[in-house]
Amino acid sequence: MNLKKIISVLIAAVLALSTMCITALAVDPYPTYNYDAWQNALPSQAGYEVIQTVTYRDIGLERVRDPSSEFYISDNENVNFSDMKDFFISPKGEMYIVDTGNNRIIKLSLDFELLAVYKNFPGSTSKHTIVDDQGNEIEVDADELKSPYGIFVDENDIMYIADRDNQRIVKCAAETPTSARIIQEYYKPETALYESQSFYCTKVLVDAAKNIYVICPAVNKGAIMFSDSGSFIGYYGANRVEVTAEVIRNKLWRKIASEEQIASLTKSTPVEYANFDIDDEGFVYTVTEVANASTDAVKRMNPAGYNILEKTADNNEFGDLVAVNYNGTTYATRLTDIAVSDDHFINILDYTSGRIFQYDERCNLLLIFGFDQEEQRGGFSNPNAIETWGDEIYVLDGRNNDITVFGMTEFGSYVHQAIKLHNQGLYEEAYEIWQEVLKRDGAYYMGLVGVTKALYNQDDYKGAMKYAKLAFEADEYDRAFEANRQEGLRDNFTLYVIVIIILVIIYFVIKYLQRKGKIPQRLIATGVGKAAEACKNAAITVVGKIKKGGNGK
Amino acid sequence: MIYDMKPWAWVKHVIFHPTEGFEDMRWKKAGSIKIAFFIVFLLFCSQVFNTRYGGFAYNPRGYSDIFNIVPILVQSVAYYATWVVANWSLCTLFDGEGNMRRVAIYSAYALVPYIIGNFLSTGISYFITLDESIWFSAIYQVGLWWSVILMIFGMKACHQYNFTVTIVTMIFTVVGMLIILILLALIMSLFQQVYVFFATIYTEILYRVRS
Repeated sequence: MNLKKIISVLIAAVLALSTMCITALAVDPYPTYNYDAWQNALPSQAGYEVIQTVTYRDIGLERVRDPSSEFYISDNENVNFSDMKDFFISPKGEMYIVDTGNNRIIKLSLDFELLAVYKNFPGSTSKHTIVDDQGNEIEVDADELKSPYGIFVDENDIMYIADRDNQRIVKCAAETPTSARIIQEYYKPETALYESQSFYCTKVLVDAAKNIYVICPAVNKGAIMFSDSGSFIGYYGANRVEVTAEVIRNKLWRKIASEEQIASLTKSTPVEYANFDIDDEGFVYTVTEVANASTDAVKRMNPAGYNILEKTADNNEFGDLVAVNYNGTTYATRLTDIAVSDDHFINILDYTSGRIFQYDERCNLLLIFGFDQEEQRGGFSNPNAIETWGDEIYVLDGRNNDITVFGMTEFGSYVHQAIKLHNQGLYEEAYEIWQEVLKRDGAYYMGLVGVTKALYNQDDYKGAMKYAKLAFEADEYDRAFEANRQEGLRDNFTLYVIVIIILVIIYFVIKYLQRKGKIPQRLIATGVGKAAEACKNAAITVVGKIKKGGNGK
Repeated sequence: MIYDMKPWAWVKHVIFHPTEGFEDMRWKKAGSIKIAFFIVFLLFCSQVFNTRYGGFAYNPRGYSDIFNIVPILVQSVAYYATWVVANWSLCTLFDGEGNMRRVAIYSAYALVPYIIGNFLSTGISYFITLDESIWFSAIYQVGLWWSVILMIFGMKACHQYNFTVTIVTMIFTVVGMLIILILLALIMSLFQQVYVFFATIYTEILYRVRS
């Protein structure tokens, strides 16, 4: 081998190593983006990054087969998760995972230590028969769960489990590390108001007054509401019907059609919501998991069931703004779960893209993170549920059988600090922090809006106008412009008045001189008059040329 | 009044004498086609100015990076051309006395107030806030309706119609414009298909020849 070859091999090796270094330096496994003022997706900084991915091994779930362990259930109990549908972080900071495929509830600390595996649920008081899909009456096996789909835990560690295939809500408290005693069961309401045959409940929620809210996908009148004693109260907060061409057409037909024809028309029904969450003030947040649903896709409801979100879904789209078409399949946003943090940041999980969209309480989009490449760390296959605790965000994947923990980056914490001050109206206090945000992402929309408001409050109207243009906020610009014009008028008022007075005097002088017939010669004698004459001559030449060509006949 | 005026003076004359100006112009056989085309060019300029400029609060879209000149060209020059063609075609059948050159001149002269209103309103939007938008729309509307009135009397003088027939023919002219534009769009898509057809054959032959 000659020297040339050796050198070239060395160079190739160095190059290869250097590129490897670059990939090793990349922090995020995926590019993060955000929507700018023009609603274009632009590359942005990551607000959250993956800290940890937790599987059954990390929490030692093998102990369910170990007879010496307190978590022993049986020798053939599945040691892995199976198709987890939901999880919940209780007010005490303990995580309850609904292991749907294994019909059990797993309780973890937030350091991912195994605290309990609830498999047995003794104490059922009533034998109950339910009607399944085929119309057969079957008796509920009351001591076990059957495909539990959702869970809620209150501050006294009382669990409320949506036991889907048993068609009941179970209210229970822990007894041993492997069993929980049933306190009460809630079955299908026996009332004429409840029209559906079945009670396949998927999600459950309990408010401060211990009213129980249940979502059944077959019921589109809103959440089914029970009192603590188990009586059916009514429905809570149904979605509105989305206005489509078909709905309008049916409405028109109804006006002219006969009774029989109306009966054959499809009824316009709202879409039921997929999931909900409750914040510490008792407001219920719901999401609707229908591709491209824009009416009531996300709601924040007061106890009376009215949507009090500042921007209603009519003029605000949640999730990705544009559906992506790739290889013949359209990937549209499907909002599957919502989690509201203690600071009222709304986190929405998109099932299709595996992305989490974080909004503030006024529905301003803050951060987008997560992606759908299940083979990679931080990517999701079937993201089923999202929860928050402090600054961390937990996402449950039912197919990867893991829990991903997201922690906040420096960028994310700047955004959070700034938007909190901003929403309190402390624009000037937020100014420095917004500048830090804009240093990292110069097109960050809320940052530009924040700086605009801060500069306006500091009476820097020119700066506010500049940033309002960048943020594409016509109203903010108008406010700053008006103040700037006002200021300009006030500061130069004397000058303007003097100029106007001089102009008026000149006008009258010229009028006077014209009447006396003195004006032309005097003006031409001056430089101004000469310049005016030159302009006049040029104009005459141009007009003459036009005239020569364009006089017609 | 002496009616031996320079071409530009005639523009001023018809604008400020809506009812008689065009009749005078017809009587004196005045009106320049070059000035008419220059006015149409100004119309195009005013549309561009209106789209791209103006105070930020009034026209935020004007500050976008994306600017497509084709729609503006269609909205000014193409509309004007189809108006002239449709009006002449229709009024020839309805015993109108105007020839196409005269229709072109009178229509263009009638557009001047609209153009001025367009420039002025866009210019004034730099100095007013959104609360004072009445000034913006007032100037624009005055220009627009002045032009409409001029257009009516222009067409009336051009074809020597009475008032009712003028209005009816103008309405049908708009219908004719629509038909012409639709036909144009059809022809364009047809030619595109023909072009694609030949382009495909060309590529196919190229592949055969090369392989």
